[in-house]
Amino acid sequence: MSVFRRVFNELTGRGDASVRVPLLDGALRPNQDIEEADTVCEAEAPDNVVSYRGEVVFSSGSKILKSDGQTVLEAPAAITALAVSPDDRLAVGLDGAGVMIVAPDGAETRVCSHLENPTALLFLDDALVVANGSANNRNADWKRDLMEGGRAGLGTGSVWLSREGQETEIANGLGYPYGLALAQDGRLVVSEGWKHRLLAIDPNRPERREELYSDLPAYPARLARAEGGGYWLAAFAPRSQMVEFVLREAGYRNRMVAEIHPDHWVAPSMKSRQSFLEPLQGGGVKQLGILKPWAPSWSYGLVIRLGEDFIPVSSHHSRADGTHHGVTSVLQDGNRLYVASRGGNKILSLHIGG
Amino acid sequence: MTANTPNPGAAIGARKKSLASQLIRLRYDLIPDHLLGEILAKKWVENVAPFLFMVLTIALFGSLIDGFFAPSSIVNMVRQLGEFGLIVLAMMLVIGAGGIDLSVGSNFALANFVALATMHILGWPVWAALMATLAACAFVGLLNGFLVGLLRLRAFLTTLVTLIIVRAVVDMLLLRHAVSISAGFPDSLVWDFIAMGSVFGIPFSAIVLLVAALVIHVLLTRTRPGWRIMAVGGSRRSAHNSGISVRWTVFGTYVGAGVLVGMAGFMYAARLSSAGADAGMGLELAALTAAVLGGNALGGGRASSAKAIMGAITVLVVTNSVIRMGMPSGVGSIALGAVLLLAATLDVRFLKNRYKLLASVYVSPVVNELPPAPPTQAGSGSAYEVNDRLHDVELIGLGEIEAPEDVILDRNDNLYCGSRQGDIVRFLAPDYKKKEIFAHIGGQPLGLAFDRDDNLYVCVGGMGLYYITPEREVVKATDETNRTPFSINDDSRLRLADDLDIAPDGRVFFSEGTIRYEMHDWPVDSIEARGNGRILCYDPRDGSTKTVVRNIRFANGVCVSFDGKSVLYAETFGCTIKRYWIEGPKAGTVETIIGALPGHPDNINRASDGNYWLALVGMRTPAMDLAAEMPGFRRRMSRRVAQDEWIYPNINTGCVVKFDEEGNILEALWDQAGANHPMITSMREHKGSLFLGGLSNNRIGRYRLKDADPDWTSCDHYWGKK
Repeated sequence: MSVFRRVFNELTGRGDASVRVPLLDGALRPNQDIEEADTVCEAEAPDNVVSYRGEVVFSSGSKILKSDGQTVLEAPAAITALAVSPDDRLAVGLDGAGVMIVAPDGAETRVCSHLENPTALLFLDDALVVANGSANNRNADWKRDLMEGGRAGLGTGSVWLSREGQETEIANGLGYPYGLALAQDGRLVVSEGWKHRLLAIDPNRPERREELYSDLPAYPARLARAEGGGYWLAAFAPRSQMVEFVLREAGYRNRMVAEIHPDHWVAPSMKSRQSFLEPLQGGGVKQLGILKPWAPSWSYGLVIRLGEDFIPVSSHHSRADGTHHGVTSVLQDGNRLYVASRGGNKILSLHIGG
Repeated sequence: MTANTPNPGAAIGARKKSLASQLIRLRYDLIPDHLLGEILAKKWVENVAPFLFMVLTIALFGSLIDGFFAPSSIVNMVRQLGEFGLIVLAMMLVIGAGGIDLSVGSNFALANFVALATMHILGWPVWAALMATLAACAFVGLLNGFLVGLLRLRAFLTTLVTLIIVRAVVDMLLLRHAVSISAGFPDSLVWDFIAMGSVFGIPFSAIVLLVAALVIHVLLTRTRPGWRIMAVGGSRRSAHNSGISVRWTVFGTYVGAGVLVGMAGFMYAARLSSAGADAGMGLELAALTAAVLGGNALGGGRASSAKAIMGAITVLVVTNSVIRMGMPSGVGSIALGAVLLLAATLDVRFLKNRYKLLASVYVSPVVNELPPAPPTQAGSGSAYEVNDRLHDVELIGLGEIEAPEDVILDRNDNLYCGSRQGDIVRFLAPDYKKKEIFAHIGGQPLGLAFDRDDNLYVCVGGMGLYYITPEREVVKATDETNRTPFSINDDSRLRLADDLDIAPDGRVFFSEGTIRYEMHDWPVDSIEARGNGRILCYDPRDGSTKTVVRNIRFANGVCVSFDGKSVLYAETFGCTIKRYWIEGPKAGTVETIIGALPGHPDNINRASDGNYWLALVGMRTPAMDLAAEMPGFRRRMSRRVAQDEWIYPNINTGCVVKFDEEGNILEALWDQAGANHPMITSMREHKGSLFLGGLSNNRIGRYRLKDADPDWTSCDHYWGKK
């Protein structure tokens, strides 16, 4: 029966085969906050922004930079994630080489070195949580990972707990875990990119998972603690009907992955409108010289403020006509919100009221 | 493995792929998917369901009843059909205009009485009796029309009242005169002929019905009063707003219905000579059932003679058969009611879903395998290599003009272009700061060309080929061509005249992008990538238009070659330039000049150095090229994804290239960022400058050419100096 239903759905485009994307509405109503935000500095693909020794630092390629351009640290591989503990230990995710922990005295230790794509790190009191985006694809191949997963958002991502030299896997089969946060009840919250949801995992009873928020209209990246309660969630690209459709079209998708350069795929992206070889969507045609901000886009800049219960409260945007896209992490410092725009090659500073 | 031996695995893989793609190609070549949608788009398709229902009913009862198809049975049924059919026609006429007439049964009884009284008691001649009958019934129609049409009372209640009143009057009259009617015996051959006569075996009443049906068909489909009736039924408010007298139109339908009912009653009187009180009892229900069963919309606006007759046949077969099968009298009504319910349900479901069905099957993509795109990136050594030469084009009319698809200059250097508002706009030389509306056409002007006498020929999207005289008079040159033999879609009207050029003998060669879609649906045509375009030739000497090349994947730019012996045209979604020979030994044949462009070609125009300028309106994208090979993917995309989300050819970036007579690319002009002049659909060289147009732009660009002849103008070049 279910096979029959699946075939019927695929033929008619109903049920699972229907292409449906949630709207940007309610707390996610678009604005131009991120597009109009102040530029702190420009850097090549800034990724994870954190506060280290009282300063705002961010990863860019294999370096950790300050906003004035000074190098804090140069890692042996491209940096894929950062985290800072309260006692100023710095955890650095390395592309293909696990995690490096730098103690305040400069001593380096390696953990989880079998993880090739550490996408997010989080210090707990006595442990380090590591999210591994995918077991099959490195960080730069994240688009391939999405396309291989297909419409179900199947993935090979996992979450690990490293405690006193012991490494335990507490979750696997995740569709690109890209952000980590600690909820008030002690559970871990993971943002799962390809499933567009926030998942709570109890580190002590990892088989118990709970979906805190599902069907996000964008691909979520990292989570960060907000001052005064709640969390920030960065999102780097919008979900679009066309991408959801391609995820359901195995024939086209496989040939696209095999034959076309990833920059020119029908896929979400950190930045778009870089080349005329990128696919253009109907709503993206310039009319009378203007690209409409509500046009469909492969990339987007979105920061969502979540409440303590991980439900969106408000949001900040850089829309289709903007360039501050591919937001992968944020850091709050009082009234300032530092935003890393990986696609826009900028660290931005947003004034948030209150 | 050495470098010289190719990978055998890869070769097998490639062959497998090509076999699979050949099979797909074969499937799309052999099965004409597009025909289903075109048939569904036809208006007569809505008659299919009632027709099948009629055939089914006849087959069912024909097999149940012995002697159903015997000649006497058929003749008897057809004679009844003649009378009943007229009443259904009357009902159809009224509900076609959005009303309803319940008084047809009573009116029928009145006709019966008047005919019998004038013939049997008064002994009038037949023609006088007929006039009297028709007048009496027309009067009832007049009353209905006056109350419903002019006083705008509710049709249902009003005709219910006339039903009761007329029936009461007839009953009173019958009570008094029934005996004398039975006693009378008119001696008239004509009267007998009306009753029992036949012409070539066809009963008289059936002939009357046939004539009435034909007249009403012509009335409804070919005349103004008929169109008004349908317009009123379709939407009273819209009809009123477009100046139709709704009241008098509705009035007219009731009077017409009265006359038709009178005719039916007259023939009934002649056939049965029965002064019984049951004449026409329950006829309104049967007629209404028949009208709706035939597919006439109860709400109005959709009605035809054919539908009425199909419904009449079905209902008559059902009611007659129920009686002949010896069922109790109530069964007939129950059967009729059940049939009406079924018909109404089917009708509503079909009508509601027909356009959904049509929308989902009309778009029928085919395999459009394009040769690999030549490289464009900087440093590739390709003739198409990107540059920023168009980055600093001067802008003319920024923000003052919308959608100048093509541009042209006259002998006095004035600049002309089309606009979204349906105007030809003229920017005045020498600085092009001042603009004026040269002429208003109404449709979107696309391609432009001057002829020998300085008439400005214009291709107008949705309208056809027009020209504007130097005195600013707008004249239609042509808007239709010969219809393609055996085509289902009527492709004789021009939907999307696109670009044109004029041969030395004055013949105008112009392109039509697609025959399956309207102008603003061009993206749907790009999804389909079927050869829907064509090249046409308009000959001003005899005013004829004929199609010269068909099956072009969006026919776009047209340019007559320098020697005047061939026409170059652009195939936008095929990414090729082709040549159609109009003279010489190869006349009538087509050859490819440029087989693979990196983008989608638009207008072609002559350059001063003996070469051609070509606008690439957009660039090919790998994702779109791959989709072009997968028709099923594109079809599903068109059904399941909103059009704003579809992948399009990348028309945000384009360029201008120059090619020679053999199709070699000589140079390319780019604006990579597309900030200054986002879209290029056309270009025109004039006195050392290249003027650029763009369909979705709000500006015209001017690029100063370095090495071009500073005195060259296309008017002088085509037609000589004046």
